[in-house]
Amino acid sequence: MLAAACGSDDSGSSSETTAAASETTAAASETTAASDDSAASDDSAATEAIDIQMWIAFSDDARLNFTKDRAAEFNAKQPGYNVVVTSFDSYNTVFEQAQLAIDDGNPPEIIHFFEAATQEALDATDSNGDPIFKSVTEAVAGRTEILGEPVVLDDVVSAATKYYTIDGSLYSMPWNTSSTVMFSNMDILNAAGITEPPTTWQGIEEACAAILALADAPDNCITWPNHGWWFEQAMGQAGQDLANNDNGRSGRATEVFLNSEPAIEYIQWWSDLEDSGDYVYTGTQRDWAGTAAAFSAQNVAMLMYSSSDVTIITEDGAANGFEVKTSYMPYDGDRPYVGNLIGGATLWMANGLTPEEEDGALAFMNFFSNPDNAALWHQVTGYIPITNAATDLLEVEGWFEESPNSAVASAQLNDAADTPASTGALLGNFVAIRDVVTIAIEDILVNNVDVKTRMDSAQAEAQQQLDDYNELYG
Amino acid sequence: MAAHDHHRGFSLHVGKPGLIKGRTWPTHLGLWIAMLVILFPLLYAALISTQTNAEIFRFQLTPGTGLGKHFDQVWNDRALDRLMWNSLVQATIITVAKTVLSLLAGLAFVYFNFRGKWLVFFFVLITLMMPTEVMILALFRIVSDLGWKDTMAGLTVPFAASATGAFLFRQHFANLPRDLSEASQIDGASPLQFLFKILIPLSWNVIGALAVIQFVFVWNMYLWPVLIISDQDKQVVQVGLQGLQTLDTGLSFGPLMLAALMVSIPPAVVFLALQKPFMAGFALSADK
Amino acid sequence: MGIISSFLLAAAIGVLSFGYRTKREVALGLALGILGASVILAALDFCTFASDAESTEGVMGVGLAGAFAWMFGSGTKAILRKQEAAGLGSGEIRTGTFRLGWYWPWLLLLPTLVILVFFLYLPAYRTFTLSTKLTRLGAPRVGERCLSNFSELLVPSPAVVVALPLASIGLMWGIGLWHNRAEPGSFAHGFSGAIRPFGIVIFLFAIYYIFEDVDGGYRQIYFNTVIVSSAIVVVSMVAGLGLAYLTYGYVRGIMVYRTLLIWPYAISPPVAGILFFMMFNATGGIFAAVADNWFGFDFPDYARNATLARITIVLASVWKLLGYNLLFFLAGLQTVPREQIDAAAIDGANSFQRFRKVIMPALGPIAFFLLITNLTYSFFDIYGTIDFLTKGAPAGATSVAIYEIIRVGVDNGDLGRGAAQSVVLFLAVIALTAWQFKQSEGRISYGSA
Repeated sequence: MLAAACGSDDSGSSSETTAAASETTAAASETTAASDDSAASDDSAATEAIDIQMWIAFSDDARLNFTKDRAAEFNAKQPGYNVVVTSFDSYNTVFEQAQLAIDDGNPPEIIHFFEAATQEALDATDSNGDPIFKSVTEAVAGRTEILGEPVVLDDVVSAATKYYTIDGSLYSMPWNTSSTVMFSNMDILNAAGITEPPTTWQGIEEACAAILALADAPDNCITWPNHGWWFEQAMGQAGQDLANNDNGRSGRATEVFLNSEPAIEYIQWWSDLEDSGDYVYTGTQRDWAGTAAAFSAQNVAMLMYSSSDVTIITEDGAANGFEVKTSYMPYDGDRPYVGNLIGGATLWMANGLTPEEEDGALAFMNFFSNPDNAALWHQVTGYIPITNAATDLLEVEGWFEESPNSAVASAQLNDAADTPASTGALLGNFVAIRDVVTIAIEDILVNNVDVKTRMDSAQAEAQQQLDDYNELYG
Repeated sequence: MAAHDHHRGFSLHVGKPGLIKGRTWPTHLGLWIAMLVILFPLLYAALISTQTNAEIFRFQLTPGTGLGKHFDQVWNDRALDRLMWNSLVQATIITVAKTVLSLLAGLAFVYFNFRGKWLVFFFVLITLMMPTEVMILALFRIVSDLGWKDTMAGLTVPFAASATGAFLFRQHFANLPRDLSEASQIDGASPLQFLFKILIPLSWNVIGALAVIQFVFVWNMYLWPVLIISDQDKQVVQVGLQGLQTLDTGLSFGPLMLAALMVSIPPAVVFLALQKPFMAGFALSADK
Repeated sequence: MGIISSFLLAAAIGVLSFGYRTKREVALGLALGILGASVILAALDFCTFASDAESTEGVMGVGLAGAFAWMFGSGTKAILRKQEAAGLGSGEIRTGTFRLGWYWPWLLLLPTLVILVFFLYLPAYRTFTLSTKLTRLGAPRVGERCLSNFSELLVPSPAVVVALPLASIGLMWGIGLWHNRAEPGSFAHGFSGAIRPFGIVIFLFAIYYIFEDVDGGYRQIYFNTVIVSSAIVVVSMVAGLGLAYLTYGYVRGIMVYRTLLIWPYAISPPVAGILFFMMFNATGGIFAAVADNWFGFDFPDYARNATLARITIVLASVWKLLGYNLLFFLAGLQTVPREQIDAAAIDGANSFQRFRKVIMPALGPIAFFLLITNLTYSFFDIYGTIDFLTKGAPAGATSVAIYEIIRVGVDNGDLGRGAAQSVVLFLAVIALTAWQFKQSEGRISYGSA
């Protein structure tokens, strides 16, 4: 429960942030003050502002302050509303708290769910059998403006719409979207005579041999967090579905495929890399913070991570005196490459709100991702610009020339073939099934058990989870 | 949550310690070593709380430059003050409620004869083997069905009574001279007057002991608030620490250590303030 | 059919375990046996005897009814005996009681009873019911699982599940019998006495083998729980006693020493986890840095090694418990009259003999009390430490029973399986309490003086 999947942690500490980030930090103090003022004046106003509760899975300064600042701006702009941001330390914690709140029957108006929770959010119903969440497309109902805020829902980039479109429309409002990328400490790579980051598994092995042969070699060559997301990405690269019915896209998934041949091969490669000492496992599941710290402390030369932290990791490298280069997530060079998928999260809107509450929530979510805000969000973090308009804005500003690392994730997603495997799976109990994969891989890394045997039992366990889920929701 | 349920009376009292004759420096040396080992984690945390991550990675052994910023981050930005206030309110309510309910139960057990007394006693005694943790999933559903999710009631009411407290006072009262209540009845005092005028003034040590145990127990509560509170404005401090693990690049060691130290101050203060009655409160049974 | 045989068995066991000397005893035994069976069968929704239940479930239902009848019968008997011994039976007459309206004591007890009923008894009952379901947090439907949430935790062979624990209990009982029958002073007496304490180890081993061993099976959780909690109890008690011995004598500044040594008692389990997380962290921690910078070797990373991870959890918990144990041992030592120790010294007894003959008997009740509190701590309060230190890693090596309950029941939202694991832990607590109750006869007065 430490850090959110797909990179929730990390912002620069204030002395070492980007220009963009320090702008927000500066803006933060102003707008926080502004929100205090408006809250005070709202209290004395005749009509009370409508509270819109928003739960997010970010607890680091950069992301949390960005969200609070946007909420404060919105509240100042729309005096009838008061968006209240509540922060949790990870996606898993929000998901867990959301389940408790749904069980209790009182979910917040806006909630931040990671991609793995999509099916569960769709299926969630209250004790009367009514859905807990309402489709944002349905709620927008073709409007181009809500409370004066232009609707941006139809401008969301294709990588995100591909994943989140269900029955032809978006149920939730895409927000932070990333992909897996690799960060290289170019000072170390150059010292080892490597000019470009490796692009394949085989390339990593060669690079590591050279790096660990250095006189002042780092402790290990490479690390990345143990998170089911990596497994899903590798399956996308290999064109292997995780579930039947086209990865759950053409009908409800009823079977999972965790012990497929590409799956075994990927985990075997990972495990071998760990055995050889090239890869270091930090010992904690979903350890975004720990792996980033190892890279930042130069204990490893390469880090596979979420693109969510491109800005921060790049700047942090500069602050610690080394150059960071971002590249595509390496794939198996012996196998045709199909495509990587997204990760991240969307904002879900509660069902059963009053029309005023609903409009407020919709207006805020569209304001939150308007071109300026979406571009700034991308600059502060590294998540891809979520709308085409935001991408255009950044291009006009020359941002991608200025910081080429920031362009990598979008490019990787645009290069992906349009297949169910590289779109990503939609299946029930995915959060728990991800856990099954993560635990199995941990078992393999730590206890050196046989990959095939272990994945066979993971397959059985995950199938049981899916069967149980479909019995209750199918 | 359950540890507190095992304080039962047995003979304990703090007497005058024996004088050591002869050389004392080996004892001093031993004590210093023990003290350094035990205090080391705290001292080290204090050092880290002043350092930025860069300073930590550089293995700097002198105080760093981050203390002011860390304090600002945890106290102002993350409202550690409000979290601590919530914990303080929760701990106070439970401590007071448990003490009062236990006093009343002790009064009923010792100064009344009634049909089915052994059954009630039995009923209360059995709960000693029912730690809240093993039923926490069901308890969550019961409390949230009452509409107490995200409320102070949800944080406090389920813990407002305990068998431990009832038995502690029951035993204490049973050891007081019987003529106290006889005299009091002759004076025409009601049971409650008797409780407040006679019993409580004679029970401060036990009350103090129970208060320390309860305060520390509630202040350190972790699992239940994780489940029942999701509104961060109402969250308690131990759970609030969760959100302080990743404020900056990677792990935010400094702010986390600072918060961990600050969080440990109130229970320590209560413990030190009530140390004497705490110790004396367990000098209960046979010899009184 | 199953229900009828359950109640017949329960009634018989109730009488046998409670007593049959008088008519009143028989009646009470019958009632207790039937009550025990009703409680457990109702909590399980009578699912073991449903039309679609398997025959093994029916047998288990009858077995459970019998077991609960025995628990209710013998438990009540034990408590009543204690009550009588303490002179506080049902018909007790004491001086100085108030003679007011019958409702007075009930009014005084009402708040306590209401809270105990709603927040302890009711959730306990509901936990049993929940354990027979397939249900998730927020799920619209509920599936019936009866006992399969439990059988998933156990090895597939019912014979092993039943036979192993019974055999080990039989063995313990047999050794005890042998010991009691053997001539005091004979070899048999000495030998059986020496191996008697190992009975509990044999029992723990037997239980180990009834839990499912496949990946993600409950055997690892059981192993973690037993290993981690026994290590915590043993180390913290031995260290606490040693420290108490050290701080017992009077030297200048002893009160300051004591206060500083006892103080960590007030620290919370999560904070203990945080502090040890910091010290042992592979990237920023002091041990890794010292090893690397001063001695030039890699400090082993606890997060990647199952044994080290468990040791780190144990160290953090011992550190937090030490002050508490010191406090009580110190108070206990001070009840030993100084003259006794001095007398032993004059007799020429060396310090170890002195310790065994004079001090150990005096510390017995306190050591026993601390054993229970430390065990409770390592069963439940340890959750916060683990959540900040290892989160159950690596590969589940530090996931103890309470941690697993929350992982399954809340993180995965699988309430039924979480509740089934809760019931297992509950049974362990009941067994421990029963053992504690038996051991403490004549040692600690249960507030019934």
